[in-house]
Amino acid sequence: MDTLSALFHGFSVALTSYNLMWSGIGVTLGTAIGVLPGIGPALTVALLLPVTYNLDPTSAFIMFAGIFYGAMYGGSTTSILLNTPGESASIVTALDGHAMARKGRGAQALATAAIGSFVAGTIATVALTFVAPLMVRIALSFGPAEYFALMVLALTTVTAVLGDSLPRGLASLFFGLALGLVGIDLQTGQARFALGVPELLDGIDVVVVAVGLFAVGETLYNAARHRYEPEEMYDLKGSKWMSKEDWARSWKPWLRGTLIGFPIGALPAGGSEIPTFLSYLTEKRLSKHPEEFGHGAIEAVAGPEAANNASAAGVLAPLLSLGLPTSATAAIMLAAFQQYGLQPGPLLFENNSSLVWGLIASLYIGNVLLLVLNLPMAGVWVKLLAIPRPWLYAGILIFATMGAYTLNNNLVDLVILWVIGLIGFGMRVLDIPVAPCIVGLILGPMAEQQFRRALAISQGDLSVFVTHPISLGLLLTGLLLVVVPVLLRRRRAKQITA
Amino acid sequence: MTTDKSLRLGEVAFGLAVLALGVFIAFETWTMPVVGAATTVGPRLFPGLIATGLIFVGLWLQLEAVTTGPVDAEGIEIDWPAFSLVASGLLLQIVLLETLGWIVAGTLLFVMTARAFGSRRYLANILIGVALTTLTLLVFDLGLDLELPVGSLFEPLFDGLQK
Repeated sequence: MDTLSALFHGFSVALTSYNLMWSGIGVTLGTAIGVLPGIGPALTVALLLPVTYNLDPTSAFIMFAGIFYGAMYGGSTTSILLNTPGESASIVTALDGHAMARKGRGAQALATAAIGSFVAGTIATVALTFVAPLMVRIALSFGPAEYFALMVLALTTVTAVLGDSLPRGLASLFFGLALGLVGIDLQTGQARFALGVPELLDGIDVVVVAVGLFAVGETLYNAARHRYEPEEMYDLKGSKWMSKEDWARSWKPWLRGTLIGFPIGALPAGGSEIPTFLSYLTEKRLSKHPEEFGHGAIEAVAGPEAANNASAAGVLAPLLSLGLPTSATAAIMLAAFQQYGLQPGPLLFENNSSLVWGLIASLYIGNVLLLVLNLPMAGVWVKLLAIPRPWLYAGILIFATMGAYTLNNNLVDLVILWVIGLIGFGMRVLDIPVAPCIVGLILGPMAEQQFRRALAISQGDLSVFVTHPISLGLLLTGLLLVVVPVLLRRRRAKQITA
Repeated sequence: MTTDKSLRLGEVAFGLAVLALGVFIAFETWTMPVVGAATTVGPRLFPGLIATGLIFVGLWLQLEAVTTGPVDAEGIEIDWPAFSLVASGLLLQIVLLETLGWIVAGTLLFVMTARAFGSRRYLANILIGVALTTLTLLVFDLGLDLELPVGSLFEPLFDGLQK
């Protein structure tokens, strides 16, 4: 077994005491930052990037794996106790999780989320171990035309699926694509949209955009809203342990959530919003107590949390094997890879196999560390939720500006951060999804390159995209994903008016 | 002005901004000098497509704002003074960072943001701001070899200390 020996090699890399230390630091920092209200996994990874600048790539990515999983854990704590989900995939957890906290069952909600995440994370990591090499094998047969079609598919789904308004999603996507134009054209070496600013020739950094939209935009929004929106926090009280009934009602949703989450996450058009909603609906349909849903049903926390974590592991499959990010967090991870001069994709498995497999092995380790860290220490993390808001948001801005400045040590990045932050505030007020912008920014330039490569090979014949069967199939799937929901909505609207 | 009206106004402004960005990119693409031999697909095609997309989406948003109105009709109130305080804190930091350095500029940002969130404990906020910025400066400058500016105003002082 090729895969198994590669995995064992990965463990031998990840289990050295040095790398184990970075994994531990990663999960701890990830949980600590992820717990802070308003900070989701994507921002956690972006904010913690500077910490890894001077590590060797393998240790840095082992630490990232820890941060990534840790941030997901931390996010559920915030959703449950404060009802402030840091990303769209935690919204479902917040529904019933917060209802449980209000009833004084916050500890049980946290426990089922933590154990469910562990179960789902572990199973999904096993699945990732075997799916990623398969995807690599498929990816090796891909040419530029197929890659371009794949990126179009990812862009359309990330856009069409998020939010309830297609033009808003598209506006966010095109804004990201427009930002991606800035810099030197890779094919001709010509400067585009640099506006005569030399610092812009390198392009606009994904990390600056993500921190601007998530951290600065969010802080501006909260500053503008905190007078009108008092927060309610529910402390942990009573028994900390799940009762027999809690276990009985949790274990099946954990497994079902994993089954829903991983495959959808692993699709090149995946993401984690759909699986969490699907898991919620499935549990509601199967439950003996559907009337409890929305009022603190434990299944409604167990299932979606498992689905969320399983899809997070799933998202890593297209990221590592195809270089294709399908969520904002994955887009930032990809940016981190690029910062080290690494390009995820089939070649990464060949050229940097100890990095890739060390990273995958460290996902197993991170999961165990998180369970050990979270079950007994839930009370400690809860204390972080009590940081007074003025200090919390002021601190977030300090770290956000520090991260943006230290990227290239110039003020231009801070100016971009400011502008993007104001735009992020506007998007938050008008309820425009942010993820399409970030995925567009990172995928746009890659799609352009593959598009032009494909045409260079075909000598300008546009039909390459439809004569290659895989490429045609991917493009048609993308088209269906956009058109079908629109048609369904129109039909429903007609039925209502008729 | 009711909040509903102002939200619809925001909606229109948003559509216009998207439209304007599209027109700007279209103009820049049009006037972009193309160097070298004509390749099958030059550096203009993608910007052209994106400009078209932006203009199209901008028009669509206008249409939606006029016909169906905002999706979320509740409308929200904005505390503009608090917003401006944070936004100008960030701007001040950019202006002051290289002369007064990370500690002073960062602390100022910290105090202004905390004030925007209603905290009036200036002394405590200054102390926390100084502690936080000093700590990050030490950890990232000494520990992780990243460079945060000490400030050109203070640099002679540091050079003096090192001698």
